[in-house]
Amino acid sequence: MNKLTSLVAGLALAAAAAVGAEADPIVVASKIDTEGNLLGNIIVQVLQAHGLQVTNEVSLGTTPIVRKALIAGEIDIYPEYTGNAGFFFNKADDTLWKDAAKGYEEAKTLDYDANKIVWLTPAPANNTWAIGLLESVASANKLKTLDDFGKWVAAGGKVKLAGSSEFVNSAAALPAFEKAYNFTLKPDQLLVLSGGDTSATIKAAAEQTDGVNAAMVYGTDGAIGAAGLVVLDDDKGVQPVYAPTPIIREAALKAHPEIADDLKPVFASLDLKTLQTLNGRIQVNGEAAKDVAIDYLKSKGFLK
Amino acid sequence: MTAVGERLLKSASVFAAPSFAGRFDKLGVVIFALAAAALPLEPFATLKANRIVSGKGLSFFDALPAAVAEPAFGLLLAAAILALLRTRPELKLVAGAVAIIAILALIGLVPGHVVPPEASLARVAPASGFWILIFAFAILVADAMARLELGPVARVSALAAAALVVGAILGSGLWNGLSVLKEYAAHSDAFWREGATHVELAFSSLAAAVLAGLPLGVACQRSPALRSATLPVLNIIQTVPSIAMYGLMMAPLGLLAARFPVLQDFGVRGIGAAPALIALFLYSLLPVTANVVVGLEQAPAEVVEAAKGMGMTGSQRLLRVELPLAFPVILTGIRVVLVQNIGLVTVAALIGGGGFGELVFQGIGQSANDLVLLGAAPTIALAFIAAILLDALIEWLDKRKHP
Repeated sequence: MNKLTSLVAGLALAAAAAVGAEADPIVVASKIDTEGNLLGNIIVQVLQAHGLQVTNEVSLGTTPIVRKALIAGEIDIYPEYTGNAGFFFNKADDTLWKDAAKGYEEAKTLDYDANKIVWLTPAPANNTWAIGLLESVASANKLKTLDDFGKWVAAGGKVKLAGSSEFVNSAAALPAFEKAYNFTLKPDQLLVLSGGDTSATIKAAAEQTDGVNAAMVYGTDGAIGAAGLVVLDDDKGVQPVYAPTPIIREAALKAHPEIADDLKPVFASLDLKTLQTLNGRIQVNGEAAKDVAIDYLKSKGFLK
Repeated sequence: MTAVGERLLKSASVFAAPSFAGRFDKLGVVIFALAAAALPLEPFATLKANRIVSGKGLSFFDALPAAVAEPAFGLLLAAAILALLRTRPELKLVAGAVAIIAILALIGLVPGHVVPPEASLARVAPASGFWILIFAFAILVADAMARLELGPVARVSALAAAALVVGAILGSGLWNGLSVLKEYAAHSDAFWREGATHVELAFSSLAAAVLAGLPLGVACQRSPALRSATLPVLNIIQTVPSIAMYGLMMAPLGLLAARFPVLQDFGVRGIGAAPALIALFLYSLLPVTANVVVGLEQAPAEVVEAAKGMGMTGSQRLLRVELPLAFPVILTGIRVVLVQNIGLVTVAALIGGGGFGELVFQGIGQSANDLVLLGAAPTIALAFIAAILLDALIEWLDKRKHP
């Protein structure tokens, strides 16, 4: 047990050694999901390329665990989504989360005031609930936005959507889309996978199980492209924006202020399509997140 | 066997099927039925266009080139028929082992036969037919070994031989086309790193539990009051679900680390290995302590009295007489703990503890079953090997005690 031996050795040394503060490595963590793995590895690679000492805690655990660890100072930086700040600060019902810029500013202010956590530059992508449609259906009917989709469905377009029961029933999800875009899906136009996650709904659409041609997805889901789906634009901003953003403890940022500028161009380059492709390489092709991260950073010239 | 037992057995076999029981081995009928049904009816392998879509099942004859499939079919059928007959267990052991090795080799041939060279994302994985065949012949081998009443040394040798076969197949690259080894190729760094963490966590928590459980068990055996206070508490700890236990560890450790930041530098934190280690330690304490108590109580009173008569002090009796006599029982507790911990470490990945669970949970998140398998298979193998080795050790010690 490395950590345990270091505990024992450390305690023995502790009395004798009043060691001066040697530059602590930056502890980079992430959530345990695919995108967390990708973004965590990207942060690790970028910081290392700029000569920083990094401790890799990527894919540390679920959101509450990573969040607690950051607040406790056990990790220094991890990628979080702007929309989640609504849940952290018990104001998820506020409409400002539906605006990318306002949501980001609000998250930044709240988290800094409460926890001295700094939200760095977000990626211009939105990993939120969305509707994915089979590409063949979308192109045949020239559907790009949910507005197009709503009109097409209202005019009798042949659609069957797979979603989790939460997506179908929760007022913030499908009913919100239906209301904003003036369409209604009848029960026989829905395939409800109770407790289903997006990998199940995407699979249903890709394999056209039961005539399904549309699916509940998260915007940057890696399987979307491989399954032949396109994400319809939420042009009226019905859903809260979940933009991936590196967030860092102020103390760590003060020790290495250059981190903000190092990560800025990298995250700015990660748009929806790019994240879908990179997540897809991990999820569909089965490449290691680290290799995908290095490969992407090299192709963009962020890494030599 | 007693006369009553013999009569019971006779009447049972008469009841089952008199003419049948004479010629056929009863377990063999099950093995034969499983193998004979799985070979033509169940898909031997699955071919998937990429990692996450549902696959297409391939029958034994579709999955393999005809030149291989036909003789292989004959070989496996012959082994199944041998299982059916009442023959010497040595013969059955050989038949089962040959069949299993053949199945393991055959699955390696599938990717080369069914994957077109341009389909670089296509995945081949073993399907239900493969697993049923392996299961059927594994029963045959296990049954034959049980009938041969192999001693501990022979059982460990058999384990070593099995490990050698799997190692040779892996080393030869025969399985490299299979999906789970493609997962390995992409995650080989993580595989060995998490594997080391997994073993470290399982063993260090066991070591801590033995260090604490041994004196605690001795004290409990000496003092009934302490026993009735301690064992129920340890019992309750056992019933806490593992994920809840890991969660419970996070808060106090996090507080401790926040209060005394110096501890953080030494790994005491709310996340990571420390909470995992403590949770596993707590789970391990009951089996170790309880088995120490039981083991000490089983030491024959006359032996302990004799030791007293020889003028041994209390600690001499404990170290030279009682503990050595209790050792096989204590070892049984250690076996339970080790196998249990190897499984429980998997959940530690959810709190950043690492271990093979990391691969399992990533696989679940990506709906990639083969990545789940890459984490689960070595965990099962580790638990299996630990169980066989410790069982053999316990039996070997027992035999030395009662020759």
